[in-house]
Amino acid sequence: MTAEAAKISPPPLGDISREEILSRLHDPSLTIVDVLPSSSYEAGHIPGAINLPVAEIEQRAAALLPDPAAEIAVYCAKFT
Amino acid sequence: MGYTNVRHYHGGIADWEQSGAPIQMGPAQVSAAPPSATVPPSATVPPAVGEAAPLLTRVTGVVHQWSWGSRLIELIDTQSTSRLFLFWLAMALAFGLLYWTAGLLHHSGLYEEGRRLDGSLHGLVSALYFSLVTVTSVGYGDVLPRGISRGLAVVEAVSGLLIFGAVISKFVSRRQDQVVTEIHRITYEERIDRILTNLHMVLSELQWVGMMFSERRAPVERISARLDSTVLVFATELRTIHYLLYRPQQAPEEPVMAAILAALASALNTLEDCLRAAPDGHPRSPVLTHALKTVSQLAGDICATCVPAGYAPALAVWMDEIHAIAGRIG
Repeated sequence: MTAEAAKISPPPLGDISREEILSRLHDPSLTIVDVLPSSSYEAGHIPGAINLPVAEIEQRAAALLPDPAAEIAVYCAKFT
Repeated sequence: MGYTNVRHYHGGIADWEQSGAPIQMGPAQVSAAPPSATVPPSATVPPAVGEAAPLLTRVTGVVHQWSWGSRLIELIDTQSTSRLFLFWLAMALAFGLLYWTAGLLHHSGLYEEGRRLDGSLHGLVSALYFSLVTVTSVGYGDVLPRGISRGLAVVEAVSGLLIFGAVISKFVSRRQDQVVTEIHRITYEERIDRILTNLHMVLSELQWVGMMFSERRAPVERISARLDSTVLVFATELRTIHYLLYRPQQAPEEPVMAAILAALASALNTLEDCLRAAPDGHPRSPVLTHALKTVSQLAGDICATCVPAGYAPALAVWMDEIHAIAGRIG
């Protein structure tokens, strides 16, 4: 995990499965965050995900994710 | 940062796409928009927008409401060439049967030289013949339709033309698609080659700069200028590397990836040495400071969890080293 990812929450980061995200796509209580660069975000992202590139986490996190207790799911590229 | 309820989806966008789950495209909305309605995996529709809808999306929205038309086109598009051709043939045969049965009704069948075609075998053969002549828009005029058959003939002529046109265009575009795929592959490989070449160039330039600094063989301003432009090139290459690495559909092969990461680590090492060799009194230009920040950010963003699972752990080691140096530079 990058140092930036570790700043989001104290390690280790819990896991969320694809099935859970799929079933909760329309659930406003789950915020999905795409930490890839904006070009990758524009090429394709999980519906409803917001774009917060890793480099901008410190500056924009407070604006985009105002609630520290909100449920957040982060994802990046991860080839198979 | 105080967020208490964060979880990580390890599969990432690659796993998501592979499983066929819905994908949304396009730039981020002004506010965190609610998810749009789920779309079928193959479709890539622009996201449903709220108040500030750009004109293009509004126009596209109107077109998409004409759903039966676009759905029909999509249906034809997704068929294979041979399937479409067989469908066209089957349609011609079906119409032939229809003409034959229409002949059983009074004044509604086909007429050849003034004589009506009846329900006999000869009638059937003539009906099939007429159908094929009509669907290929040949229309000899030796067999003529009357009554209901006229309506059938018109419908057959129009749809036969459209579908056969689709068959031909699909056939032609098959070769085109092959060529396009080949071009993409070649471009991708050339890009990777260029990255390696450019990283090597950056490395040798940085070595020169480091040597010039430590041996003080040239005026500092000239060396600094060379350093500035080299780091700018370095930043550009890093952006390209990022772009290539973060496209989940097309991961570079392991040896290629290893080569890129090794070259990147070497270049970063040399950059660090070079910066250390710079004379203390001489201030860094704003260009250099900004470029260094970019380099450090981009290098630091290369994330170890994004390495394909099957690749050697050595790659992760490279990435960690890249991280470490990036932290020290920025």
